[in-house]
Amino acid sequence: MLEKYKKQIVRFYQKNRRMPNYAEVMSLLEFKSKNAVFKLINKLKEDNFLTKDEKGKLIPLHLYGELRVLGQVEAGFPSPAEEELADTMSMDEYLIKNKEATYMLKVSGESMKDAGIMPGDMVLVDRSITASDGDIVIAEIDNQWTIKYLRKKGKEFYLEPANKKFPIIYPKEELKIAAVVKAVVRKY
Amino acid sequence: MPLNLHSFPNAILHIDGDCFFASCEVARRPELRGKAVVTGLERGIVSSLTYEAKARGVKRAMSLQEVKRICPDVVLLPSDYEAYSLYSMRMFNIVRRFTPDVEEYSIDECFADISGLQRPLNMSYEKIAQKIKETLDSELGFTFSVGLAPTKVLAKVGSKWNKPSGLTIIPGRDIHLFLSKLEVDKIWGIGPQTSAYLNKCGIRTALDFAEKDFEWVRSRLTKPHHEIWEELRGNMVYKIDPNKKSSYQSISKTKTFTPPSKEREYVFSQLSKNTESACIKLRRYNLATKKIFFFLKTQDFLFKGFEFKLMRATDNPIEIIKMIDKYFASVFLEDRLFRATGIVLMDLAENNCRQADLFNEVVTAEKISKIFGSVDGMAKRYGKHTLFLGSSFSAINKSQHAGDRKTVADRKENLFKGETYRKRLAIPFLGGVS
Repeated sequence: MLEKYKKQIVRFYQKNRRMPNYAEVMSLLEFKSKNAVFKLINKLKEDNFLTKDEKGKLIPLHLYGELRVLGQVEAGFPSPAEEELADTMSMDEYLIKNKEATYMLKVSGESMKDAGIMPGDMVLVDRSITASDGDIVIAEIDNQWTIKYLRKKGKEFYLEPANKKFPIIYPKEELKIAAVVKAVVRKY
Repeated sequence: MPLNLHSFPNAILHIDGDCFFASCEVARRPELRGKAVVTGLERGIVSSLTYEAKARGVKRAMSLQEVKRICPDVVLLPSDYEAYSLYSMRMFNIVRRFTPDVEEYSIDECFADISGLQRPLNMSYEKIAQKIKETLDSELGFTFSVGLAPTKVLAKVGSKWNKPSGLTIIPGRDIHLFLSKLEVDKIWGIGPQTSAYLNKCGIRTALDFAEKDFEWVRSRLTKPHHEIWEELRGNMVYKIDPNKKSSYQSISKTKTFTPPSKEREYVFSQLSKNTESACIKLRRYNLATKKIFFFLKTQDFLFKGFEFKLMRATDNPIEIIKMIDKYFASVFLEDRLFRATGIVLMDLAENNCRQADLFNEVVTAEKISKIFGSVDGMAKRYGKHTLFLGSSFSAINKSQHAGDRKTVADRKENLFKGETYRKRLAIPFLGGVS
């Protein structure tokens, strides 16, 4: 029943671009007395559906459900900010899973251009992860770091650049993977 | 005969990074793998070296000219203490994943107590030690040597036993097998004096020492040696101290500079800079000093120092430098080339009990301490020595090491957008990748 009343009030609000007064609520919901309206309004207030100003006029609050807008602070209640922020994370946490195993490198060259990795970019890599087919990895080729896609064909692994101008690298001996790329950071 | 009947009454690990500084360098430069690498370029002497360099006869503290002579293809690198500290922190944090009882013994070694952790970790002590080593090796990118034993002294014997990348397990029952092969002067805590004395008593190996009865040890040696004797027998005396160092017995700052200088004013400014650095550390730990020792080193390694006491404990470099100025003449020699200055602050006490004195110097000191509060605030924001004393000017304004020697770690020159020479991201840099 309450939901039905809410809907009617919302419809009124959408049509008139203002909240109804008590008399209007009475006729809108076909109530017999203003006292009944008063009781309903109190219930809706508890629900955070609406609230009243100092003069008792109605003000909309959450007419369209419980979706909260970050930064909205209600007077008289403890700030919800702290609680809400418990479920957020810092940029560090977002980018770095294993802090002790994360390193950074600076990209030079355009061999990973089509993967969106450009010269000058910072890549964050994790040494503790075992690389698998399709990962972007840091491998050691001819005593140099190289950044490429790790690909697998049958049982053989090889390194594939993201740029047609560069050759695919088939390791002569054992392929040494130093780390797996977890993020690319570019600051403007 | 076994010295101890239990395998592990306590399970103590000693973990030691293999040639730590040099390894940090090789870990980020694959082109250096298998080469003779030496760090310490900015100091002119070897600070750390790889096993390849060791095999060529290079030793710690050797002069770099000597190194180049015996090993012409050596790779000489400036120290990058920022990177080494990052690796060091990571090393301790990785060990803490397994146990909270970790004692950070130095930048590249720690002790850890894993007693009683077999069940919670569902692994034997041997397996835990192995797992810690594997995690360190793979996540930091170079090798560590680990000793597992019932005591700290024995754990240290273990980590040294099979370097590099060794894992040596010394259960109580097998202690004697290891100690019989260890000379007594190789024991942690037994110096040349004591070992010479023990040799005279016919004690050659650590086992000879450990097998003596307590009465023999008690009547001939001092308490620290009684404790080592107990530890060698597998009875734990030295506990693991997991507390981060929050207090210091003394604080010292020494810096070499090149080229060496004859100029009084310049040498003094070096000392002034060291004093400021030492006081920054003093203030960080909220300490004050009452006794100060400063020294100069000449090019031919002559060492001259002077010690003085203050009326009142202080953390203010101005007061200290004023006193140093007074006594500087007694250590400075005309026409001699100096290569390093240093300062040691001693008699440290918590900096909260400023006693009022007769001449009301406390009020002035109070004001000055406010100034240094701001100096520290600026340093936090813009880097160390942003604000400094006039007496340190020539030292701070001139690079510490002049000449063609490349002495700045390349990290400081290879910055990302948004980083500055003074402030960089706290993530180890592995260099360029293409």
